[in-house]
Amino acid sequence: MLRISKRAIATMALAVPLAFGIAWSANAAEKFKLGMAVGGNTCCDWMKSQGDVARALAEKNGWDYIELSNNNDPAVALKNAKIFAQEGVNAMIQFNGQPASNPAISQAMTAAKVPVVTYDIADPGMYFVGIDNLAAGIAGGEQLGKVIKEKWACNPDLVVSAEGAAAGIVNEWRTGGMRTGLKKICPDIPAEKWVSFESQGDAAVGLPAARDLLAANPDAKKMAVVGLNDGGVLSLINAAEQLGRADEVIGWGQDGAFITGDNVNPHLAGSVFYFLEGYAVYAIRDVIAPIAAGQIPPLKAAADNPASRVEPCPVSAEQAKAVPVMAERVAKLLAAPAGTTAYSLFCPNK
Amino acid sequence: MSSGMRFQGWGTGLTLLAVWLLLIAATGLYRPAFLSHQTVLAVSFTMSIVGVLAIGQGLVAISGGFLDLSQPAGLIASSLVAVRLSEAGMPFAVVIVGAILTGMAWGGLNALIIVGAKLNPVIVTLATNFIGLAALFFAFQLAEVPLGSTIHQFGRAKLLGLPAIWWPMLALVLVVGFLIPRTRYGRRAIAVGGNRMAARARGISLKKTRFAIFIAAGGFVGFAGVLFCATSGPFNPSSANTLQLNVIAGVILAGISLAGGRGNFWLLLLSVGFLSTIPTALVFFGLSSDTQSIFQGLILISAVAFDGYRARRGIP
Amino acid sequence: MTDATVPRSAPAPAPYIVPHHPVRELLTGPVASIAFTVIAVVAVGLIWVGPRFLSFGNLGIMGAFLIVPLVVGACAGFALLSGVVDLSIGSMVGFSSALFALLLTLNWDPWSAGAVTLLACLAFGAINAIAIVGFGAEAIAATLGMLVALRGITWVLLGPQGAIFSFNPGLSDLVNQTLFGLPLFFLVAIVLTVIAAVVVTKTRFGRHVQAVGGDDRAATRAGIPVRKIRVAALLLASLGAGIGGIVFTAQLGSAARATGFGLEFQVYAALMIGGYSILRGGVGNPVGGALGLLAVAGVSNILDLKAISPYYVNIIVGLLLLAAVLLDRMRGGDAYE
Repeated sequence: MLRISKRAIATMALAVPLAFGIAWSANAAEKFKLGMAVGGNTCCDWMKSQGDVARALAEKNGWDYIELSNNNDPAVALKNAKIFAQEGVNAMIQFNGQPASNPAISQAMTAAKVPVVTYDIADPGMYFVGIDNLAAGIAGGEQLGKVIKEKWACNPDLVVSAEGAAAGIVNEWRTGGMRTGLKKICPDIPAEKWVSFESQGDAAVGLPAARDLLAANPDAKKMAVVGLNDGGVLSLINAAEQLGRADEVIGWGQDGAFITGDNVNPHLAGSVFYFLEGYAVYAIRDVIAPIAAGQIPPLKAAADNPASRVEPCPVSAEQAKAVPVMAERVAKLLAAPAGTTAYSLFCPNK
Repeated sequence: MSSGMRFQGWGTGLTLLAVWLLLIAATGLYRPAFLSHQTVLAVSFTMSIVGVLAIGQGLVAISGGFLDLSQPAGLIASSLVAVRLSEAGMPFAVVIVGAILTGMAWGGLNALIIVGAKLNPVIVTLATNFIGLAALFFAFQLAEVPLGSTIHQFGRAKLLGLPAIWWPMLALVLVVGFLIPRTRYGRRAIAVGGNRMAARARGISLKKTRFAIFIAAGGFVGFAGVLFCATSGPFNPSSANTLQLNVIAGVILAGISLAGGRGNFWLLLLSVGFLSTIPTALVFFGLSSDTQSIFQGLILISAVAFDGYRARRGIP
Repeated sequence: MTDATVPRSAPAPAPYIVPHHPVRELLTGPVASIAFTVIAVVAVGLIWVGPRFLSFGNLGIMGAFLIVPLVVGACAGFALLSGVVDLSIGSMVGFSSALFALLLTLNWDPWSAGAVTLLACLAFGAINAIAIVGFGAEAIAATLGMLVALRGITWVLLGPQGAIFSFNPGLSDLVNQTLFGLPLFFLVAIVLTVIAAVVVTKTRFGRHVQAVGGDDRAATRAGIPVRKIRVAALLLASLGAGIGGIVFTAQLGSAARATGFGLEFQVYAALMIGGYSILRGGVGNPVGGALGLLAVAGVSNILDLKAISPYYVNIIVGLLLLAAVLLDRMRGGDAYE
């Protein structure tokens, strides 16, 4: 008895919705549809904001908008791209923190004839929108170099790099770029003074490794810190505070995550804003809106010849005081006229 | 067998101590600068948070709950409460109590599901960690204690040349290690972990014991949350994920059986200290941090293999 | 010996009765809860998303995404069944993916690269087996160590860039082939699952695996080679992870630090939803495990297609996991007290 009823329920459960589904078969209006794959790493508030801004702008343009999360996983990123293609998006934007799957995504989306905008990490088949990470790194390094030159006559005891190998080439561009920029101003810092540790780009996670590095360099007092982001640089600064050696630490970060608001560490001398939350303005203004209007722009896929270039905005901690925190920036950005970039609104140092 | 088990903890302890000293001696010979106060500070800072979490993990393990996989979510929730309370200008004591209560509530929630639905703790805490971290991401993306606040200073203060956050960890491990075999509560936890049917036959309430264990374990996670946000700088919901493996490894190396019923909490000082020394030593050997995982993993495998071998042969 | 993974009071497994009606067995047998869960997911998908939920295109997307978890899960399921959980499978997938990608970039041909990769994975599986079966280490603890060690080895292989790009159009085309509108290798993975189910239920080896996991002392008394069975199961788990890594590299055209990271939780959550137990051997069935993976993939696909905030996915997976084990408990599954 029980068995029969179970089977009956199962049959009905399958049959009823099938009937409904067929009755509802697709008759959606032919609106322009934009797909956005956010990075999905819970590390960073800007990853969520990138989606929020894109959604708001898409709605302003009267487009359909679908957002998926790459969950910081290359396999999920590929699956998401395929879902966008299936859902008939006319264009796709992604921030793929795991760019290793970009070739496969590129192949799938080329086959589906869906143009892809990728942020910050170039792929030959995708419109590049973003910062030139290497240039941003060099710009930050030069600023730090000027501080070091003025304060320590280009003679620090140690130059520490807060690496984040999981970010791959982006880490090499930013952290390596900062070293290059610093060397431009201070060319004579001897090789043995350059040391690195793995910060994982997270102030809290990188802390133990930062303390170990300090322990292994017990005599260093004047320390200059560069890194792939503010979080990594902060992990070294916090470690130095804990080991009682922060008096003469000067850090310069990237991405501007921890240089706004009223809780800025005094040893963070500056950072480089990319205003990551506002990338959708560039992508939509220069790539997506033209596509929606039927004028497909030429594919520019290289970081040095981008479809839309985001300007890095190096700021000292003093200058950063004039920059609002991210939530406020998002609100102001969305209230501004179409096409206004966060750089033009907030960069104090244009 | 039972006398063998009683001494087994000391065998493990001596082995751990020997291996730890060997590591220190080898690194010190290679680079004498290793034997410095800075190294002691670096290691003891790392030890503190892992050590307190390991007490919680050890309590769950020794009572037969295997693992609490939801420690990251509980820790982040407690840290967030601590941050919000200190942002509101609350006194430090209130901040600590608030975080501990949050951790206990988290443990209680786990216990409610585990005891109420009679579900396995590993599965339940795996699920609640998924749910908790995802829910926390809605609550906040970045948090940091106010610079200059008492809790911020606490995270940087020293006492007798060691981090201020290290001493509470030491005290808690010593106290818990003393009380577990000597109090009714502790002996019940071990009894339930060793053989729950026999424990029940002796009139021990499994439900009450489990609730008490998970709430207490949550309290340690909550206190670890205080230490975490005091030192971490800005953190996000995923910042505690990397602690998990170290904590579990510390419990295993200390010889606290994941199946329950056996273990000496004092040994956590040796296991966690040893595990926290490895990455520091590797930096002195000039090895990249990637190799750190290889060493830790191989040490863990060898240790449990050795432990298994000893248990089988009845060697203390 | 591995008392850690087997409660001392574990009951002997019920003798397995070969079903006469496979379909009825699906609805009333050991995989009934998960079969109903999948039916419910499909029903919700059809009502909420519409018929395109079951379109070939959509199934193909889910299928391609599921190839690796299915293969890894089917093989790791044998270890679970035999009462030894292998937590190192996610790291093993990452290691396999990295080694395979590395060999490809060194201009090895894919077949020898694949063979060497699988042998390396089997070697690490053998270390697991030596520690657990040979020395009597706790399975959770030993394979946790392997998880950590393999992660380190993978990161060293991947180098400072944290990734190896090995995009190979031929390999990509091979792994993306379709049959009847579905990814060929998804169908292969399904066939493998069915074979695994047949092995578990119909062969002597399968019954031995279940018996060993159910009560290893009783199995020893019954003359079953407990140690050999567990070694075989652990090697099989590492082999499955090795294959999974190779498929990942072929699909994604690369290996990266995130490849396979945390996959063990995804797979074991789905296997538990599908009726396995990670702390007790002798229960579970490859078909149930595969249905568990399908259920989770179906739910997250529904969320994708309905463009629900992606940040809810983990909450729902967690709730689903709790619901599934609760359901299993109410159907007479193992109670934890």
